[in-house]
Amino acid sequence: MKKILLILCLFLLVGCGKAANKVYSLTLNNKTFYLGEEYTKEKYGESIGYSEVSSCAFEGLDKTYKYDHYEVTTYPVDGKDKVYLIYFLDDEISTTEGLKLSDSYNDMISKYGEKYKKEGNLYTYTLGKTNLNIIVENGFVTSIEYAHEI
Amino acid sequence: MKKRICIIIIFFLSLFILLNRLVTPKYQTELIEGHMIKEYYQEAKNHEVIFIGDCEVYANFSPIQMYKDYGITSYIRGTSQQLIWQSLEILKETLKYEKPKVIVFNVNSMRYDKPVSEAYNRLTLDNMKWSQEKINMINSSMLEEETFLSYIFPILRYHSRITELTKEDLDYFLNEKNITFNGFLINKNIKPYTSFPEQRRLPSYTFKENVYKYLDEMVKITKNNNIELVLIKAPSIYPYWYDEYEKQIIDYASKNNLHYYNLKKVVDEVGIDYNTDTYDGGLHLNLNGATKLSKYFGKLLQDEFNLTDYRNNESVNSIYQNKILLYNDAIK
Repeated sequence: MKKILLILCLFLLVGCGKAANKVYSLTLNNKTFYLGEEYTKEKYGESIGYSEVSSCAFEGLDKTYKYDHYEVTTYPVDGKDKVYLIYFLDDEISTTEGLKLSDSYNDMISKYGEKYKKEGNLYTYTLGKTNLNIIVENGFVTSIEYAHEI
Repeated sequence: MKKRICIIIIFFLSLFILLNRLVTPKYQTELIEGHMIKEYYQEAKNHEVIFIGDCEVYANFSPIQMYKDYGITSYIRGTSQQLIWQSLEILKETLKYEKPKVIVFNVNSMRYDKPVSEAYNRLTLDNMKWSQEKINMINSSMLEEETFLSYIFPILRYHSRITELTKEDLDYFLNEKNITFNGFLINKNIKPYTSFPEQRRLPSYTFKENVYKYLDEMVKITKNNNIELVLIKAPSIYPYWYDEYEKQIIDYASKNNLHYYNLKKVVDEVGIDYNTDTYDGGLHLNLNGATKLSKYFGKLLQDEFNLTDYRNNESVNSIYQNKILLYNDAIK
């Protein structure tokens, strides 16, 4: 009996570990970008724009790399720049599940379901420590952003 | 026997107090912004103008420059990411010490309706004197994972620092040095503006009801005390100050008969050059930019609010002459 319980507990622990490790990712041109991973130029490619934002008192910079259709923002963790935001700039790209700017609310529901947290126009879907933030105005998607918990 | 117990209790209490002091950050060489709130308490309380707000006040205005040019006595009670309910409590606390003619409030914090970060809370609260205002501020600022007790006994929050103590913790255990000039934090570095991330679409551009509630309270307190409440928006390029924000502040100021100055709109008149007058690419002004803005804003304050030129007052002037000597040395 004890052995069975122990095995069940182990299964549960393994399951929990997997769920906690799940994060949103964005696949573009056969490359998959994971929220929380280290940003490297080799993987993300040459950006067309770059900006830095420092905080009021703390060390470290938020770095934003601009690409044709999206921006990637990193946050310093233990000396490494980790990806914590991917923001869509236009409707030329889609999320991995196929949602893009200017799609309808119904498109969002058909792709992501109704398990969201709603605050005003903002719909937030959560996976592990990552969020997919979608703003819907007048029935249409006007903003898509992937965000990793800091 | 009783005496022995008393001695033991006193010993452990003293040890506890000393340990609390030892592990609390001193904010002298790192995260110096955490020291700013404390410096006000040592000041002679004779200010006609008090600034309250976030980093956009303590980085962008120089009270010593305004004294040099116009004889205005002012102090900046700004802290990093000071939220509006914190500004309100700082205003209330200030009025226990003095009654200025003008309170200048930077409206940037109107965009935040809930606490943002424990780290910023600590910078504002750790060194604040205990008062009803501090208690109110802790209660309204704490994040879910924080406890009130950890503000009373910092060791509960900083116990892990016991193995990470630095020279700063020992050097400034008893005595600390001031890092601002009447609340102005000098930064002489230059980092020209290049670019910022694209302007984000927001789920809502309307300031939240609870934020207005705090602003209403500020208006009420200042009116009851016959103080002019002046709203400003400091001239930063980022974070974006949306047109929708601007309209709401203009409407609010008009409805409540307040002065509102958006200093972003006068950067050319002030002479601010974002190639030379900012230390972080356009978020805050450096010494050069703050000097220009203080000359402009000091003149505006003097013209609009009939402030006293204290350069003709011997006792006040002697205090400021000492400050000016130190300031001139610091800005060399």
